[in-house]
Amino acid sequence: MIPERCSGCRICELVCAIEHFGVNNPKKSRIRAMVLYPHPVIRMPIVCLQCGEPKCAENCPTGAINRENGLVVLDEEKCVSCQVCVTSCPFGAMFVHDGVETPFKCDQCGGNPQCVQECPKAALVFQPEHVQGQAHRRDTVLRYAHMREVVYEEAGEPKRLRYAEIGTGRPRDED
Amino acid sequence: MKIRGGYFFRIAHVDLSTGQVERRPFDEEFALAYVGGRGFNVKLVADNLRKDLDPLGPDNLLAICPGVLNGCYLPSAGKTSFSFISPATGLYGDSNMGGIFGSELRQAGLDGLAIRGRAPKLSYLFVDDDEVRVIPNEALAGKSSIEAEGLIREQIGDDEVRVAAIGPAGENLVKIACVTSELSRNAGRCGVGAVFGSKNLKAVAVRGSKDIPVADIGRLRTLAKAGFDSLRAHRLFEFWQQQGLMSVIDYVNSIGVMPTYNFMDGVFDRADQVNGAVMEDHYKIGDGNCHLCPMCCSNVCLVKDGRYAGTVIEGPEYETACMFGPNLGVDDFSFVIRANYLCDVLGIDTISAGNLTGVMMEAVERGLLTPADVDGLAMKWGDQDSIVSLLHKMAHREGVGDILADGSRRVIETWPQLKPIISQVKGLEQSAYDGRVAASMALAYGTSDIGAHHARAWPIAKELELGANWTLEDKADIVIYHQTVRPLFDMLGVCRLPWIELGFDETQYAGFYSAVTGVETTFEDLLAKSRAIYDITRAINIARGATRADDYPPDRVFNDPIPSGPQKGKHATREDYEKLLDIYYAKRGWDGEGNPGVRLEA
Repeated sequence: MIPERCSGCRICELVCAIEHFGVNNPKKSRIRAMVLYPHPVIRMPIVCLQCGEPKCAENCPTGAINRENGLVVLDEEKCVSCQVCVTSCPFGAMFVHDGVETPFKCDQCGGNPQCVQECPKAALVFQPEHVQGQAHRRDTVLRYAHMREVVYEEAGEPKRLRYAEIGTGRPRDED
Repeated sequence: MKIRGGYFFRIAHVDLSTGQVERRPFDEEFALAYVGGRGFNVKLVADNLRKDLDPLGPDNLLAICPGVLNGCYLPSAGKTSFSFISPATGLYGDSNMGGIFGSELRQAGLDGLAIRGRAPKLSYLFVDDDEVRVIPNEALAGKSSIEAEGLIREQIGDDEVRVAAIGPAGENLVKIACVTSELSRNAGRCGVGAVFGSKNLKAVAVRGSKDIPVADIGRLRTLAKAGFDSLRAHRLFEFWQQQGLMSVIDYVNSIGVMPTYNFMDGVFDRADQVNGAVMEDHYKIGDGNCHLCPMCCSNVCLVKDGRYAGTVIEGPEYETACMFGPNLGVDDFSFVIRANYLCDVLGIDTISAGNLTGVMMEAVERGLLTPADVDGLAMKWGDQDSIVSLLHKMAHREGVGDILADGSRRVIETWPQLKPIISQVKGLEQSAYDGRVAASMALAYGTSDIGAHHARAWPIAKELELGANWTLEDKADIVIYHQTVRPLFDMLGVCRLPWIELGFDETQYAGFYSAVTGVETTFEDLLAKSRAIYDITRAINIARGATRADDYPPDRVFNDPIPSGPQKGKHATREDYEKLLDIYYAKRGWDGEGNPGVRLEA
C-alpha cells in the first residue's frame, strides 16, 4: 500500500465486491479508499494487513478468527456476528454490511489480489514478506551516501553522473 | 420484461412545500426510450413545462438522475445530471457533476430525484436507502458547500454520507451559482445553485447500501477490463494522470485559440506562467478523481508561500485556469488557485464568473463603463484585488455584483453597449474556447441547447487539425455527432474525457449498456435515442420562446478578427454562419426556425 499514489478512485472497492460477492456494490468491498478533505487532503486505501498478532482474533469471543498460511481468516461457521472484531481492528479493515451475515475481510484473492491488478496508480502492491522493507533499506542507504555529481562530455553532449563516495577507508569530511 | 438490470424503476418525487415524498415507479418503456440520467431529466422537465413557469418559482422541477451506468464497474462511470428550467437563460438548463454522489443515490434504490416546491425553512433532503426526508436546518444558512457537507455529516453521524450542497451564492439566488460535492465536484452551469436556493434547499444528502443490479456481471467485468486496459495503454495516460486538463493550456495557446483578455486575443504571452508544468512543479501535492476513473484529472494544489499561502483546492482544471488566468490577464498561478478557492467557497461557477469579470475589465478599459458603474474598482487586467472584490459582490449581490449575479442577459439589458464584447449565447456565458477560428465551434456554441458551453460539442481541435478541406456539411455533421454522443454520455452517467482525450472507443458503451441492462443494443440505437432527446430539449426551448435568433454565436465571433498569434486575422462571417445554420437545421430535420415539430405532452 503506497498512500502517496492513491487518488481515491475506488476501482479497488468495486472489483473486490464483484470478485467476492458477484455484485456491483462497493459497500460490500473488503478494501476501502479513504478520501479526506479539506484539511488535510489525503487518499489512502485501507485493507487487512494480515497482522502476526491480530487484535481481531485476540478479541473474538468464539475463536472464529485464526491465522492460516500467513492469512488472518474468519470462520463463518463459528462467527456469531457480534462485530467485536470490527471495533478491535486498529486499522478499521474489518467490514460489515446489512445484507451480509458475518463481517468480512481481505483474503488476498487466493494469492492474486484483484485490487492490485486493477489499481490505475500502482498504489497497491503485493509482495512476498521478505521483500517488505527493501525499498526503505535502499532509501536509507541513498540518504546516507552523500551523493555527488560529476559532469562530463559524451559525443559533444554534457552529461551528469551521480555517484557516492565510498571505500576510501577513512571517515568522510562532513558536507 | 426485457430489462434485467441497471434500473430500480423508481424515481423519488419530492414536494418540498409539503415534505411529501413518493417513490414513484416507471415502466420499461420509459427506461428504454429515455435511458437514464439526462434522458430521464429531460422527460421530467418537459412533462412539467408551463409557458409562464418561473425558473425561480416553486413549480420549476429540478431533476437529478445519475444515469444507468453510473456506479457500475466500468471506466469513469461517475457523472450525474441536474436539469431544470434555467434562471440564467429561461430555457432548458442542465449541468453535470462528477464524483460518487450519483452512485450513492443509485445504491439507495433510486434512478433519480424529481424535486418541486419550496421548503418553508432552509432544509436539506436526506435520502437514506428506502427513506427520503426533508430536514429543516437553518444553521446551514450562509455556509459554504464544504462546511454544509461537514455539518450534515455531523448531524447524521456518518462520515460517508454523500452531500451535494450550495454555498451562499445559491441561497442569494445568484444565477451563476453552482452545486458542489466532495470539495470540488461541481454542477456549475445554468444557475443550478439558484434553483436549489429558490427551493430553500441547501443540500441533498444520500446514503445507500443496495447492490446496483447488473444483468451479466461477468460480461461487464470482461468488457470493463478491456476498457481500463485500453486507457492504460494510451501513450498519454501517465502524462494525463500528472497534469489532467491543465495540459490543455499549452495546447490551446499553441494553436492560437486561448481566450485572452476577455476573448479578445487568441494567445497569452505569459501562458507559461499559468500552465500545467507550473502547476506540477510548484503547486501540485496530490491526485484526485471522480468515482471509478483511472485518469485522475484532478490536481490537488496548495499555495506554499506568498499572499495566498495555505490555500488548498482540488483543482484548478483548464476552464478555471484559463478564465481566471489569460482571460483576465493574470500570470500568477497562485492567484488562479485563490480565485478557484473563492468560487468554491462562495458557490459560483468559475466559467461564468471569470467570463463576466473579463467583460467588466474590458468595459472599463474601453470606457464603455465608468469607474462608478463598477463601484470604483480599478478593474485593470490582472488586478487581483479587483477580481476578489467582484467575486464577493457577485455572490452576495452587492453593488455592481447584483447585476452580474443575474448573468449576461441582465448585463446586456442594463448596459446595451456591452453586447459587442460579451461572449454569451442564450444568456449563458461562453466557456474557455474561442469560437472565431473554427466555424464548427461557432455553430457548437450557437446551437447548444443550454447556451455557450463546450460540453455539448467541442469540435474545435478536430477542425483545426483535420478540417482544412471540410465542407459546411462536414462541419454541421461533426457538431451534430458531438451533440448526440456527448449527451448520450450524460444519459449513461459516464464521462466524456476518456473518449475525447484518450481515444476511448465510444462504441464500447453499447457493450456496457447491454451487459448492465441485459438488453442487446447497438451504439447506433443509443445515438438515435440521444438524438430524439435532443429534439425534446429543443422543443422545450421553442415552447419557452426561443427562435433562430437565439442560435447565433457571440457578436465578437463575426466582428473582431483575432489580433495576434497563429490565427491572426481570423473570424467567422455571418453569411457563412447563416448557411451553416440552415444546413444544420436541415440535417436535424428541423424547420428554418429550428423547430423540430415535437409536440410536448402536458
